[in-house]
Amino acid sequence: MPTIAVDAMGGDFAPEETVRAVAQISLETDIDTILVGDEARLQPLLHAISYHPARIHLHHTPEWIDMAEEPKAAITAKPKASILEATTLVASGQADAVVTAGNTGAAVLACAEHFRKLPGVRRAALASVYPRQTEYTGQDQLALLLDVGATIRCEATELVQFALMGSAYASRVSKVGNPRVALLNMGAEPSKGGEALVEAHHRLSSASGIHFIGNIEGHDLAKGKADVIVCEGLLGNVVLKMLEGLAELIVDLADTAAKENWRWKLGLRALESGFGKLRDLTDYAAYGGAPILGFEHLLIKAHGRSTAKAVANGIKVAAKAVRDGVTTEIAASLQQV
Amino acid sequence: MENLTQSHTPIVFRWDLDKTYLQTEFESLRELVRIPFEKPEDKVTIPGVIPLIHGLRRVAEAQGRVVGIYFISASPPQIGKAIRDKLALDGVQVDGIIFKNQLRNIRRGKFRNLREQIGYKLTELLKQRASFPPDCEEIMFGDDWESDPVIYSLYADVINGRVSIDELREILTTAEVDEELVGEACELAAQLEHVDSVRRIYINLERRTAPTEFARFSDRLVPAFDYFQTAVCLFSESILDEPAVAAVAQKLIEASAYTPARLANSLNDLRRRVRLDEPRLEVLRESLMAAALLPAPPVVVIPRPSFWQRAKKRLRALAQRWRHKPVVTAEPPAALQIDYRALMSEWRQLREGAVR
Repeated sequence: MPTIAVDAMGGDFAPEETVRAVAQISLETDIDTILVGDEARLQPLLHAISYHPARIHLHHTPEWIDMAEEPKAAITAKPKASILEATTLVASGQADAVVTAGNTGAAVLACAEHFRKLPGVRRAALASVYPRQTEYTGQDQLALLLDVGATIRCEATELVQFALMGSAYASRVSKVGNPRVALLNMGAEPSKGGEALVEAHHRLSSASGIHFIGNIEGHDLAKGKADVIVCEGLLGNVVLKMLEGLAELIVDLADTAAKENWRWKLGLRALESGFGKLRDLTDYAAYGGAPILGFEHLLIKAHGRSTAKAVANGIKVAAKAVRDGVTTEIAASLQQV
Repeated sequence: MENLTQSHTPIVFRWDLDKTYLQTEFESLRELVRIPFEKPEDKVTIPGVIPLIHGLRRVAEAQGRVVGIYFISASPPQIGKAIRDKLALDGVQVDGIIFKNQLRNIRRGKFRNLREQIGYKLTELLKQRASFPPDCEEIMFGDDWESDPVIYSLYADVINGRVSIDELREILTTAEVDEELVGEACELAAQLEHVDSVRRIYINLERRTAPTEFARFSDRLVPAFDYFQTAVCLFSESILDEPAVAAVAQKLIEASAYTPARLANSLNDLRRRVRLDEPRLEVLRESLMAAALLPAPPVVVIPRPSFWQRAKKRLRALAQRWRHKPVVTAEPPAALQIDYRALMSEWRQLREGAVR
């Protein structure tokens, strides 16, 4: 039974939604949680809903970092911030992993401050999952994209390490036995891209224990070609934000069209069930969150707008990763190269 | 009841049976039908309840008090033998069990009474109370499944005189209790001497109802998520001793997937919700830690006081224990005027909502 430290104060809807998530987890699973945050705010919220007290530990901390705060300055100014306390609890062995829906930069810095990197790892990677087409029955509807912002520029060694870490994580946590790994590039040919990408391609092609399929281009992202897509942080972040922006644009367009023309409205009504399925597929609440990889301990970063359902799923993902020994698996896969 | 009248400080523990003592499943028709055919050894108790009851009797007797343990059930007397055999198997010495005469209700065409709880239980509690000595203290145990919090609180306020006979009649009528039962309850209440005898009501949160929902019942009612929490409260009031609480904790570890860390979480949750005798609690905490039933100090979040603070607290607790024997150290909970008329309709809606 793993113990997960939950940053109760992180996220747009915290602490209400994080408290509800932890209460739900305490009733439905055997996962122990440590709710890290302002006890005066958490306690009344908890006592007003159903929960199992034996599985929840409240860890008081008077400070937290808001979503809009500059991460570096906030971490320095608030040494007792909930995300820092949560990572401390894991580092000291009182918890096994962290879940936060809070400030991403602060989460990465908190990991860097309290967790040791896995042997040989040069840079940590922030992963994210996004929905895509599936090519065969049973394929996970979500692909893992890393890095999406922890490391701005990468060398070949770092890209190779990201590929290995992403593959090990996906094989344990996603429903993919032998995940297909690809490099995000401007062409499929091995010689495309900069020096780092060419070298990474070369090294991954000859690496054992990884199912490397080569380069994929931007238009392949939405297809089911690869399960783990590797790129440097700057590019990954741009891709991720573009995907989110595109989804919002589609929704906006549909809304505007429906308001302006009754035929469009009728058409959209006819497609309602299809949109529902699409919404389910793109519902970030269902997948819970994505990991920061490269450290001896795991942090699952849930979406900033996470509801209780999303945070609860993030906790389940973290618990599964702990049970399946994901970090050990990652360390082992890194040693092979 | 003869033995109770011989003591000047008798204490009575009154227990509901299903969902409080037994883990009875009656949510579906199939489960309901199965109950009469269950053998005593098939019946499952709620983890920790057996050592708790053993502890209640042992400690009360050690304090020189005469003790009575009574059960009340909404099950028919036809399953009485299986229940008595089960209690005997558990080594629980019982002074009385009340069953609901459902056949009588059917014979008299009172089909609404088959499911009705408030009128039935209140009348039976009052009837039994008449056989207790007036100075006898009562501690009641129920659950959040149906109406125990309402029934026990109303019972307590009827016998202490906070609810008058006229008010009782009005409340029971609002609750749509059978007219005959209303009359009987009022008649019984009128015969009782007014004594504030119900010291505490413990509600086992079997369906995990939010604790704040019980705020309307005053501090007299304590919602507890497990019998470790109940045991700690009883210890805080000198009704249980350290070995009894340890036995309950041990049972939860063995039977309910608890760990020392989970017991600590449960204890901390209780401390946040209920006012406890902190010096006594400190003594308990140390003894549970020594028995490895609570985690070692670095894991426990409760700040560890200095050696002198601990010694002072321990001495104070020991002195308190020495001074009062037989004892009930803590002050009775503050009285709170409960609006039973509003409560009757609200509580019903709340229960119906929870069932849905």
